[in-house]
Amino acid sequence: MNETLFRRIKDLPSTHLLGTGVPTCAGCGGLQALHQIYDVLGEKTVFVNAAGCMTLLSVYPFTPFRGSWLYTAMAAAPAGAQGIRDALDIQLKKGQITTDDDLQAIVLTGDGAAYGMGMSATSSAIERGLDFVYICYDNEGYGNTGQQYSEATPHAARTSTSKGPQGYPGYKKDLFSIWAAHKPSYVATVIGAEPLDLARKIEKAKEKQGPRLILALSPCPTGWDYDPKESADVGHLAVRTGIWPLKEYEDGKVVHTKVPRKRLPVEEYLKRQGRFSHLFEPMRNEEILTGIQERVDAYWAEIEG
Amino acid sequence: MYRIRFHGRGGQGMKTASRILGTAFFLEGLEVQDAPRYGAECRGAPIFAYVRASRSPINERGIIRCPDLVIIADDSLVTVPAAGVLAGVTDQTFMLVSTSEKAVTWSHRLNFAGSILTLPTPVEITDRMELRFVGATCAGAAARLCGIITSATLEQAVREELTGLPSSVIERNLEKALEGYTLMAEHEGCIKEKAMLSAEQYEVPEWINLPFEKASISAPVIHSSLTSELMPTGLWRTMRPVIDREHCKKCWWICSTSCPDGAIDIDADNNPQIDYEHCKGCLTCVTVCPSHAIQAIPEHKNPTSEETGS
Ligand SMILES: Cc1ncc(C[n+]2csc(CCOP(=O)(O)OP(=O)(O)O)c2C)c(N)n1
Ligand code: SF4
Ligand code: SF4
Ligand code: SF4
Ligand SMILES: [Mg+2]
Repeated sequence: MNETLFRRIKDLPSTHLLGTGVPTCAGCGGLQALHQIYDVLGEKTVFVNAAGCMTLLSVYPFTPFRGSWLYTAMAAAPAGAQGIRDALDIQLKKGQITTDDDLQAIVLTGDGAAYGMGMSATSSAIERGLDFVYICYDNEGYGNTGQQYSEATPHAARTSTSKGPQGYPGYKKDLFSIWAAHKPSYVATVIGAEPLDLARKIEKAKEKQGPRLILALSPCPTGWDYDPKESADVGHLAVRTGIWPLKEYEDGKVVHTKVPRKRLPVEEYLKRQGRFSHLFEPMRNEEILTGIQERVDAYWAEIEG
Repeated sequence: MYRIRFHGRGGQGMKTASRILGTAFFLEGLEVQDAPRYGAECRGAPIFAYVRASRSPINERGIIRCPDLVIIADDSLVTVPAAGVLAGVTDQTFMLVSTSEKAVTWSHRLNFAGSILTLPTPVEITDRMELRFVGATCAGAAARLCGIITSATLEQAVREELTGLPSSVIERNLEKALEGYTLMAEHEGCIKEKAMLSAEQYEVPEWINLPFEKASISAPVIHSSLTSELMPTGLWRTMRPVIDREHCKKCWWICSTSCPDGAIDIDADNNPQIDYEHCKGCLTCVTVCPSHAIQAIPEHKNPTSEETGS
């Protein structure tokens, strides 16, 4: 699709579909992305959610959604989406609903479920060609339970289970490539701080069928340890330092949708967040900082060829 | 037994405060319960935590209903009924308020006959990140008020509870805890150990009995959408974003799209309108407005806050 409704920022919706009054933290980058995504996906959607911060959105009898909501076990959201899709298909076939009444099954989970616990259910749902959109808001840890590290936690970040001078020893898993390796219909990374790029990708995803992933890096003031007002800055810096590449996969190809012209040093991003403060004080940890920069440089060197 | 309740907002370290105080009591040889009350433990949301400490085994369970000491880390919570700051407070209760106002002002405002102590805070808080140390100050103050915790024990408790955090964070917390401890010197020991309640004194909580009913009655299907809007999350706000109409260029989208909560809509004249019933005061809009047309003012300075109820 070449035509987009979102050519300029002025084309973005100015009233919002998602209800206010939800209990996510002030300044939640996950909610910021979700409300932008929902504006484009629209209300003909059923959300299937695995345990995490966004579970708090729909706590009986409150909901910010205009449609239904199903809560599943943490590893099972794609299986829940399968059930919903099947039920809708049966109703369509029996003529109990018309195609106008049809709904999109949307999985909404955090990174803990998407990168780890839910991987098996996800992989097999893609393999079955399930017609669904998977939204992962990636706050790089088990946020709802106090930010323990997850398989999405970046190298050296402090979490409640990776303290000390080195932070988290592992490296963030590459979920984008894992999804792309399954050859689904669409995979995209987004971030709430780049709403135009986000809206265009959701618009695209909405038009397609089959398994689709929207992976949203979600600055998290609580888990990443910074003042809520800085969520937008932290988000911009994730993109401008090249740490969070904005890209999409379709028809077998990966395209970078926003290549930072002059990449800022990664420490501009890292030093804004308390979870990396041990890399700067009491003294700079050159080894780790250089290591992080080199990995980002190597990524872009390959892309820019 | 000592019964102490800490009230604050998510992000102000109330859970840590209860743990520091609990550990300090424990190190002094007492039996201890300390626990945060989990709800929406999100940044800005009202939260509380409590500590029981006693020289003999503690048989009481659950949240503290009649506290000896209530510590209020954020004075804007006092008027938020859902925060439950005044629950179970009698004229025997001590209240310690972190506030820029005087104790007598609070006594009058609350028509409260018990003792009010204050922890002075600056009127203008320039760096909200400083707020997360308020928990340590409160823990230090509480330790002194109970009179049986030495400053050395307090220090050890802070170090134990914060193990693994950057040393600058630990030192800052320690400094704050000792500051609270010192500030309460003249009130040392004013909180006395009270007798344990016996089983006969047990009062049934004022809970509502929910009989076991058919699912269609007890958990009816909800057919209406957007019910979350009934929750006044505007009460979380300590800082209020205010749009300066002169400077707003009606750029149309930036504040509205960036507000995580979707609390800014654009009206028919292309003016952004903030929904103060729900705006949580994260100040993302202040950061993103390219014309610097949104200012943040302390909520308590807002002349209209009472009339709008938010
Ligand atoms: C099988 C299972 N294990 C553990 C939990 C407890 N739990 C609830 S939310 C959560 C964190 C989920 O992390 P993530 O998916 O990243 O979402 P976030 O909390 O960060 O939004 C955990 C571990 C659970 N609900 N189910
Ligand atoms: S912990 Fe992070 S992701 Fe979870 S609600 Fe708070 S800000 Fe959002
Ligand atoms: S971002 Fe600033 S200039 Fe743009 S509409 Fe909002 S207040 Fe006005
Ligand atoms: S402070 Fe601004 S961005 Fe934050 S919730 Fe309020 S209106 Fe939205
Ligand atoms: Mg997470």
